[in-house]
Amino acid sequence: MSRNSRRIFAAFSLGYALFAGAVMAQAADAPADLTPEESDVMTIDPPKPTWFYVDGGWDMPGTSIFDGETGKMKGMVETRRLADMAIDPNGQYYYVAETIWSKGDRGTRQDMVTVYDSKTLNLVTEIPLPGRILIGSRKNNFIVSDDGKTAFVYDFSPTSGVNIVDLTKKKFTAAIELPGCASLMPNPGVGFSALCSDGSMATVAVKGTKGDITHTAPFFDATNDPIFDNFAYDRAKKQATFLTYTGQIYTAQISASPTVAAPFSIQAAAGIRPGETKPLETNWLPGGRQPMAVHRATGMMFVLMHMGEYWTHKESGTEVWQVDVAAKKVVKRFKLKDPMNNIAVSQTDKPLLYMNGEKGEALVIDVATGEEKHKIEKAGGSTITIADPL
Amino acid sequence: MTKFNADAWGEKLLRKFAGGSSRRSMLTRMGAALVAAPAFPLLPVSRAEAAKPDRSPEAKTVFARSAQTKDETKCDYWRYCAIDGALCTCCGGGIHSCPPGAEPSPVSWVGTCINPDDGKAYLIAYRDCCGKPACGQCGCDNTDRETQLYMPQLNNDVIWCFGTTSMEYHCSTAVLVGAAS
Repeated sequence: MSRNSRRIFAAFSLGYALFAGAVMAQAADAPADLTPEESDVMTIDPPKPTWFYVDGGWDMPGTSIFDGETGKMKGMVETRRLADMAIDPNGQYYYVAETIWSKGDRGTRQDMVTVYDSKTLNLVTEIPLPGRILIGSRKNNFIVSDDGKTAFVYDFSPTSGVNIVDLTKKKFTAAIELPGCASLMPNPGVGFSALCSDGSMATVAVKGTKGDITHTAPFFDATNDPIFDNFAYDRAKKQATFLTYTGQIYTAQISASPTVAAPFSIQAAAGIRPGETKPLETNWLPGGRQPMAVHRATGMMFVLMHMGEYWTHKESGTEVWQVDVAAKKVVKRFKLKDPMNNIAVSQTDKPLLYMNGEKGEALVIDVATGEEKHKIEKAGGSTITIADPL
Repeated sequence: MTKFNADAWGEKLLRKFAGGSSRRSMLTRMGAALVAAPAFPLLPVSRAEAAKPDRSPEAKTVFARSAQTKDETKCDYWRYCAIDGALCTCCGGGIHSCPPGAEPSPVSWVGTCINPDDGKAYLIAYRDCCGKPACGQCGCDNTDRETQLYMPQLNNDVIWCFGTTSMEYHCSTAVLVGAAS
């Protein structure tokens, strides 16, 4: 035995003697029938419709899982800075698109989709990718098809493209160039669609490793009145709902040839003058990182609104406006105690609003009553994802 | 200062890359990206040239109306009209200089900002400094003419550390590129 080994052995022996002594001393005071506890590990249910997932963001790794009914934390999915998480619609897995380097911040770059079991939250496998964008706080850079079989990972290297992953075979299958477009949505049976810098929507029909790209006619002004790229996609209606900086609301029917309906102004829907791009026009405007959410069964849209001038599109909302999209009416306005930056809504019969702000506090509000059900400190300050099982 | 010419600037940039890089290098790919994005630096320029610039208070954004030209370590310094991140001027660097040991990204997002001293608009390249942990000092997020990801050259959330030895984001500079109008 070397000198070092002897030292380590001696240290272990001493540690064990102290531990054993402590156990014996406690055992003397304890009831005779006490069974010593063992360390074990909890499991959780598959994703439930009342659960929401808060990305810790730039300052806090991990995506925390909360139950909106109880306000309790259920567990955490490992997400590092700038990772994107998606939930398997079949409820079996959590998928994390992420990037690491072999030596921390340097060395060999590795991009991957990491797969976690939804009940144990244990690592299942890693699917290597040729690349992905580094940005964070976006819902639509990593999306899963409605049937849960395919993932689309936006890449920017800085050429613009999409990497396609077969989630059944757990394998990367194709890289498709997508010049001038980003912000993805599923397009069932076709491939995916995306928004483009010319104001159009691109649809990519994926055939094997090739993508056939078509565009709608331009319908929005990507430079002067952009659509927020954290828009909403409704799997049941195959419909996307878009919101622009000034407050125009568009709905698009997603198919091989998507169609976009004429927009309406959220301010006009509330009976006030529409938002404008001109300076010195102070008005209610949408804002935040994730400024809108849609409750698909009722067609209600929830938008974070603030008072300000144009080009304040990242500013947190001081109110939530509830919009009946089909009727083009703002039916309710919720005043917020603290400004909120991200919003999501549960797809349950009694919808709950989930929000967080710069302080990383998460808020749960009952849509029907406006009552604050829970406030969770240090929940995380970035994107909120909801469970929406098939 | 000469008037900003997007084509000449792009060509100069690409020639610089081509001269100092192998054919398959990251920089060559970035050149392709610039070529593939015809809208790249043209948009702020063409917008500025489309009409005679109006610099009255009524035509200025909230940021431009209150911007100052004295202190580069404050978020309201005029060049920071579309910056997002930690100011390199607060991290041991300068307005166009990376702090020691950090590496400037050769590509960037851009902003068109008005200098209140002369009332003119200038094209500003927000080049990230890379290869060190986030500096964390003087965090700013200004959003004049800042758009979304489908127009990445005008989006201030993208980590622009391309072609650098490490993609870790440290801080952001605001490099004066040319006159925009």
